Amino acid sequence: MSHLETDPQVEAGAFNRLDHAPGDEPEEAGHWVRNANLGLGFSIVLTAAAFFLAGSHLIYGPVIPVALVVLAIAQMGVHLVFFLHITTGPDNTNNVLALAFGILVVFLIVAGSIWIMDHLTHNMMPMDQMMQMQP
Amino acid sequence: MFGKLDLSAIPFSQPIPLITSIILILVILGVLAIVTVKGWWPYLWREWITSVDHKRIGVMYCLLGVVMLIRGFADAIMMRTQQAVAIDAPGYLPPEHYDQIFTAHGTIMILFGAMPLVLGLMNFVVPLQLGVRDVAFPTFNSVGFWLTASGALLVNVSLFVGEFARTGWLPYPPLSETAYTPGVGVDYYLWAVQISGVGTLITGINIVTTVLKMRCPGMDYLRMPVFCWTALSSSLLIVAAFPVLTATLAMLTLDRYLGFHYFTNTAGGNPMMFVNLVWAWGHPEVYILVLPAFGVFSEVFSTFSGKPLFGYRSMVAATLFICVVSMMVWLHHFFTMGASAAVNTFFGISSSIIAVGTGVKIYNWIFTMYGGRVRFEVPMLWSMGFIFTFIIGGLTGVLLAVPPADFLTHNSMFLVAHFHNVIVGGVVFAIFAALDYWFPKAFGFRLHPGWGKAAFWLAFIGFWVTFTPLYILGLQGMTRRLQHINFPEWAPWLYVSLVGVAILILGVISQVVQLVVSIRDREKLRDVTGDPWDGRSLEWATPSPAPFFNFAVMPNVEGEEAYWGIKRRAVETQQMGPEPKYEPIEMPVNSPVGIYTAFFSTVFGFAMIWYIWWLAAVAFVAAFVGFVVFAWRDVHEFEVPVEEVARIDRARRAAREALLRRLAEQGALP
Amino acid sequence: MTDTGFPAGGLPASAEAIRRVREDPYRLGHRAHGPEEPVAGTGHGATGPASKRILVGYGFWIFLLSDIVIFSCFFAAFAVQHGATAGGPTMGQIVDLRRVAFETAALLLSSYTCMLSFAATNAKNLFWTEAFLLLTGLLGLVFVILELMEFIDLAGRGITPQVSGMLTAFFGLVGLHGLHVTLGGMWLATMMAQVFIKGFRHEIVHRLICFNLFWHALDIVWIGIFTIVYLMGSGA
Repeated sequence: MSHLETDPQVEAGAFNRLDHAPGDEPEEAGHWVRNANLGLGFSIVLTAAAFFLAGSHLIYGPVIPVALVVLAIAQMGVHLVFFLHITTGPDNTNNVLALAFGILVVFLIVAGSIWIMDHLTHNMMPMDQMMQMQP
Repeated sequence: MFGKLDLSAIPFSQPIPLITSIILILVILGVLAIVTVKGWWPYLWREWITSVDHKRIGVMYCLLGVVMLIRGFADAIMMRTQQAVAIDAPGYLPPEHYDQIFTAHGTIMILFGAMPLVLGLMNFVVPLQLGVRDVAFPTFNSVGFWLTASGALLVNVSLFVGEFARTGWLPYPPLSETAYTPGVGVDYYLWAVQISGVGTLITGINIVTTVLKMRCPGMDYLRMPVFCWTALSSSLLIVAAFPVLTATLAMLTLDRYLGFHYFTNTAGGNPMMFVNLVWAWGHPEVYILVLPAFGVFSEVFSTFSGKPLFGYRSMVAATLFICVVSMMVWLHHFFTMGASAAVNTFFGISSSIIAVGTGVKIYNWIFTMYGGRVRFEVPMLWSMGFIFTFIIGGLTGVLLAVPPADFLTHNSMFLVAHFHNVIVGGVVFAIFAALDYWFPKAFGFRLHPGWGKAAFWLAFIGFWVTFTPLYILGLQGMTRRLQHINFPEWAPWLYVSLVGVAILILGVISQVVQLVVSIRDREKLRDVTGDPWDGRSLEWATPSPAPFFNFAVMPNVEGEEAYWGIKRRAVETQQMGPEPKYEPIEMPVNSPVGIYTAFFSTVFGFAMIWYIWWLAAVAFVAAFVGFVVFAWRDVHEFEVPVEEVARIDRARRAAREALLRRLAEQGALP
Repeated sequence: MTDTGFPAGGLPASAEAIRRVREDPYRLGHRAHGPEEPVAGTGHGATGPASKRILVGYGFWIFLLSDIVIFSCFFAAFAVQHGATAGGPTMGQIVDLRRVAFETAALLLSSYTCMLSFAATNAKNLFWTEAFLLLTGLLGLVFVILELMEFIDLAGRGITPQVSGMLTAFFGLVGLHGLHVTLGGMWLATMMAQVFIKGFRHEIVHRLICFNLFWHALDIVWIGIFTIVYLMGSGA
C-alpha cells in the first residue's frame, strides 16, 4: 500500500480512500432503504426461481442442480452487495480480502472433504459391510 | 442430582494419580494461603485478574503455558521410563493409565502448553511493535485468556475426578464413541478443548483486527516487523482452522451425548470423516504454532547480528505462502486411510511444496548472520540450535510427505521423532528464545545469561540424545504408543533415550534456577535503558517494564525498523528529539467479565462432563446474564492525566539521555 | 467526541458520516510525516488506529467468517453423508417444500426489516429502529417455530437423527442454523432493551452494526441450506 503515500488526492485532503466496516457506510438513510428494497426484490426473484425450478420439468433434469447452485450463489452475491454493502471500492479492501480468504477456506474444506471421502468410498468397503464381515 | 458423579470418580485405588493430585492440591492451597496471608488478593485482582492490559494478559498466558509445559513434560518422563522398564515386563503403568498419559501429554503440550505461550507472545509483543496502546478488543482479550485457563483447569481436574481420554490426543472414532469409551475421559477432552478453543478464537480475531486496523501513524504493511506478519498469518489460520475443530468436536459431542451418527461405524456414520475434518484443523494448527516462532527467530537473528533482516520482503511472501498452502496439505496425516493414488499424490506434492517457503526463511536467517556482528546471547543460541534441529526435522518431514515412504513409517516412532523434531526444535526453542528476549520488557530485568546458556546446551544435547534413538527405533519397526515392548533388541535405544530425558530434566532445572537466580539478582540485571539488546523495533523504544499505556506519544514511523531509525538519529545528532507535547491518554478500564465467564464456563463444562444437567443450565444462564449485565456498563475508558504521562515519559527520556552521555564519554559515538 | 453519546438533538446522519470520514484510518501511514504534523495521543487515534466503529465492525466480520467455516464443516458432513440412509427415509421423503418456502420468506423478510432498522438507526430515529427490530424478531420467531414444527413433525413419524447418518447430518446442519437464529433472537431482545434505555450511544450503535451483520449472515447460510439440503435433496 505504500504507493498510496504519494497519492496526490489523499494529500490534498480529497478523501477518496476511506475505510468502512462491512455493512456500514456513511450514507443517508434513503440510500439504505433503496439498497434494502433492491436486495429484497432481487432475492425474491431468485428465490422464487429456485423453488420453481426445483419442482418443474422446464429444463433438462440433470442441469437443475447446477441451475440451483448458480441461483444460490447469485443470491448470496445480492446479499453481500445490497445488505452487507461489500463493494470493490478501495474503502472495502480489507473486508473483501477477508471475505476472499473465508471463501477460499470454505471451498478447501468442503471440496477437499467431498473429494477425499468420495475417493475413499470408491476404494474401501463401506463401513457397515465391513462390520458384517467381522465374526 | 450429581449425574454420573460419585465417590468412585476419585482414584483411590491408583496411587500415582492420587498422590500427584494430593500434592498438587496441597501446593495450590499453599499458594492460596500465602497470597491470603500476605494480603496480595486486592493487588492480584486489580493488577492481574481483572486486567485488560495486553502485556499483563500476555504474561499470564505465558505463565499458564510454562506450568502446562512442565505438566506435559512430567507425562513425557513417565512414558519414557515406562517404555524403558517394560521390556518383556508389565512396567509400572497399567495400560489404561498409560493411555491416559500419552493422551494428556499430546493434548496438554499442543493445546495448553504451546498454544498459550504463542498466544501470550503475540499478545505481549504485537501492540508494542505496532506502536499502539492495546489490542483492538482489550476486554475480550481478557475473556479469551480466562477461557483458555478454564480449559486447562478442566484437563487437570480430570487427574483427580474421573479420568482423562485414552484415545490419543486426537480422539479418533469409533474408539472415542460411547460404544467403546463409555467413561468421562473423552468428555473431559471435548469440553476442555471446546472452551479453550473459544478463547483461542477470540485472541485470533483480536490480533487480526489489531494488525490490520490498529497501527501507529506511518506503520504501513511493509514496515511492520516480521513478527507482526507472522502473528497476522497465524491469527488468520486460527480464525480459519479453529472453527473446524469446534465443529468436529461438536459433532463428536452430538454422537456421544445424543446418539447421532456422524462418526459411528453403524447406521451410516463415517469415522474417517472425523479424521478428515480434524486434520483440516490439525495441520494449520502446526503452522499456527510455528509461524510466530519463525517471527521470533527473525527478530532475534536480526537483533543479535546487528543487521537488518536479510530478504524482508521474501520473508513476508514466504509467510503468506505458508499461511495459504498450510490449508491444503492435511491429508498427509492419513495417507494410509485408503484414498486413491490421485488424492495421495496431490497432497504429497503440496506437502513437499510448503517446505519451499520454510527453505526461503532458513536461507534468509543464515544470510542475516552472514557479515553481521553476531553476539552469542541466550536467545541467539536457541535460534542457532533451532536452525540445526529444524533442518533435520524438516528433511524427515519431506521424507514423510512421500506417500510410499509414509506407508512404511506411518504411526511409527520415526513419526514421533519427526514431529518432536519440528515442534520442540521449532516452537519450543522459539518460545525459550522469546522468553529470554522479551523478559526484560515485561519485568524490567534480564534473565541470568549463564544459567540460560546452561539450559540451552542441556536442552539441545538432551533433545538429540532423546530423539535420535526414536528415529532408529522407528526405522526398526517400533510403533508409537506401546505400553510394553516384546523386542529386547530395542532395549539399548530406549535406554539411550531415557538418558536423554535425564539431560532434559537437568535443562528444565536450569531454567527454573535461571528464573530464581535472576529474581534474586534483579538489581544487578536491571535494564535501565529499556533497550537491553540494541533492538530495532518499537517495543525497545519504551522503558522496561513498559508502562501500561505503552507509548506516551504515539510514535510516527518513517521507515522499516522503526526504532533503529530513531536511535540512529539520536546517536548521530548526539541528542534526543525535542520533548513532545503530552496529552491525556484514554485507556480501557479493568473488567472482571473474563474471570466471571471463565468461572461459569468451567462449571458448565464440568456439569456437562458429568451429566449434571441442572448445573449446566444454571451455569449457562448465569454466564448469559453476567454478559448482559457487563454489556450494560457505561464507563469503558478512564483518562490518564497529562502530568502522569509526562512524568513517566520524562523518566524514560532521562534514562536514554544518560545512555547517550555514557556512550559519548566512552567515545562510542561518531 | 466523548462517550456520552450525541449532543442534544443529535447530529444529522450526513454530518456524522463526514465525521467518520475524517477519522478514516486509511490516512494512517499515508500522511506527510513532518515535525509540524501533530500526533494525537488520546488513544482514539485520529491519525493512528481506526475508529472504534470500524474496529468493532471488522472484528465481527472476522468472527462471522469463522462462524461460516463452522457451517461449512456441517455442509461437508451433509455432502458426504447424504446417501447414508442406512435403510431409513431418503431426503425426498422428509422434505415439505411448502413449509421451507414459508421459512425462507420469513427469514428473507426479517433480513429486510433488519436492514430498515439499521437505516433508522443511521437516521437516529428511535421509534422506527425499535419497530423494525421488533418486526425482525417476530419474523425470526416465525422461522424458528416453523422449523420446530418441522422437527416435531418428523420426530412424530420416527424420523430422528439417531436413525441414520443422513438424518444426523440433516438435523445437525439445519439445527445448527436454527440454534443461531434462536441465539440471535436473544441478542436482538437484549439490543432492543439497550437501545430503549440507553439510546444511540456509540457502543450501542456498534453492537447494532454487528447484529445487522450477524442476521444477514444467517440469511446467507439459509440460502445454502434451502438450496442444497431442501431443493437439491428433494429433487434427487
